[in-house]
Amino acid sequence: MLRNVFLKAIQEQRRSLFWWVVGMSTLNVGTLLFYPVIKDATGINELMQEFGPLMEPFMGGIEDITSPEGYIHSQLFSFMIPLLFIALGITVGSGAIAGEEERGTLDLLLSNPLDRWRVVVEKFGANLVAMALLAIGTWVGLVVGVLMVKMDISYVRLAEATIGSALLGGTFGALAFALGSAWGKRGAAAGITSAVAVAASMLDTLAQFVDWLEPLRFASPFYYYNSGSPLVNGLDPLHVLVLAGLTAALLAVAVVTFERRDLGIG
Amino acid sequence: MDKVICLEALTKFYGETRALHNVDLTVQAGEVFGYLGPNGSGKTTTIRTLFDLIRPTSGRVTVLGLDSRTDAREIRRRVDYLPGDIALYERMTGHELLSYLANLRGGVDWDYVMQLTERFQCDLKSRIRTLSRGNRQKVGLIQAFMNRPELIIMDEPTAGLDTLMQQEFYALIDEVKAEGRTIFISSHFIPEVERICDRVGILREGELVTVEHISVLKDRALHQLEFRFAQPVPQDVFLGLPGVHEVLIEDSSVKCTFAGSPDAIVKTAVAYEIVGLKSHEASLEDVFLAFYRRSDTDVA
Repeated sequence: MLRNVFLKAIQEQRRSLFWWVVGMSTLNVGTLLFYPVIKDATGINELMQEFGPLMEPFMGGIEDITSPEGYIHSQLFSFMIPLLFIALGITVGSGAIAGEEERGTLDLLLSNPLDRWRVVVEKFGANLVAMALLAIGTWVGLVVGVLMVKMDISYVRLAEATIGSALLGGTFGALAFALGSAWGKRGAAAGITSAVAVAASMLDTLAQFVDWLEPLRFASPFYYYNSGSPLVNGLDPLHVLVLAGLTAALLAVAVVTFERRDLGIG
Repeated sequence: MDKVICLEALTKFYGETRALHNVDLTVQAGEVFGYLGPNGSGKTTTIRTLFDLIRPTSGRVTVLGLDSRTDAREIRRRVDYLPGDIALYERMTGHELLSYLANLRGGVDWDYVMQLTERFQCDLKSRIRTLSRGNRQKVGLIQAFMNRPELIIMDEPTAGLDTLMQQEFYALIDEVKAEGRTIFISSHFIPEVERICDRVGILREGELVTVEHISVLKDRALHQLEFRFAQPVPQDVFLGLPGVHEVLIEDSSVKCTFAGSPDAIVKTAVAYEIVGLKSHEASLEDVFLAFYRRSDTDVA
């Protein structure tokens, strides 16, 4: 596991990642176990309709909250799952370069025959693996829950919605990674990215109520996460492309800024 | 390959703060070069430019004939580095750390690593976070020596080592030097510099104040001879002799402070009856302190 920067980064994350995966899959199974209680409570739908258009932004285009899609979306994909993906993305993203720089080990690492861009790319790759493992854990948790309560929902759609969440988390993770690579300050990278994520989420919600904000909706990564209702319709390739492209662009920013600057010694 | 390290008008600013100013320095193959100066004088800044960890504001740095900016990876392949106040991966064991570093370089001679480990009585099995300062430093030293590079650059290499380990380190330096390899160390521990270095450069507030052979600096050191004569001796007997800086007379005892050879003083003194004689070897430390405090012209 200590063959290169990429594998070492994965090895370093393995313990905490294990708990992320356990936590996420437990959350999913636990949430789905309550489905039988909600399934027959059709009163909830009537309640939702009273709120009318106010609730729409939170429903991801799903009318029936007691349907399998409606339940899983409202309970998990509308908030908790993307939140956890974003949290993991920010944690591993801000820690990759900036964390090592603050601990002072970057000098030791970069006294070896490695190009700087390569260290950036390998660490980024390790973070992508972490996101992918969390995605697998998420999906497995959902499938186990679905089987336990015998829900009628497509495993493929569950996977697509999970991939969408991972892409969203990956985008904010890439922002934290780029900020950390450019500045070398872990706390600042994590804090700024969290603030941006909150603002982007609010923008996406508010833009559905406020006319003049409407055109700005496209500036929020959440638009590309939410608007296509992947749990019902599957992933929109264009939305996937936007989030993946944004992630790749942020990686390029990380490489260029890290290449150019003086490194700190903690 | 004569010039192993070459700094040309190296200047470094951190924002408004000047860390290095117009430093010119050449280190020759096969020498042990000591880079001295008080804290904050720019030693670490210089060393970090050699590995392209920081970039010169102006000037040029070459190592083994390679440009520090364009050939950084090749320099790092051929040169090993012991950072000052070295930070290691806390959760790894010493053995894991050395394996990782060896893998990044495409392998290492483990027999030699084990030899070094034994010489430094280093514990490679414990996690690094459980090790004392001195034991961490040993792990750092092993990683700097283990690849047998042409050039080893070390920032404060003996910090935290006990006397026994310092001796082992000096012995290792002698072996590396005997193999014709080059060593560049920063230090502010003068007896160490005197023990191992051929030449030194002295840095003060970012400027290289002097570059000199240790032996030349030693000659500049002031010594003292203290005579006790049977009878008082006139002061002007010693004043004006070659090399004499100061003569203090107290009753029949005379203290002569001088640089260079004591020959003239001793030959003059034997004309009188001597009842006692003491010699004080001046320390090199005083010479360095003078450089640290004053400008070049004052000292020269």
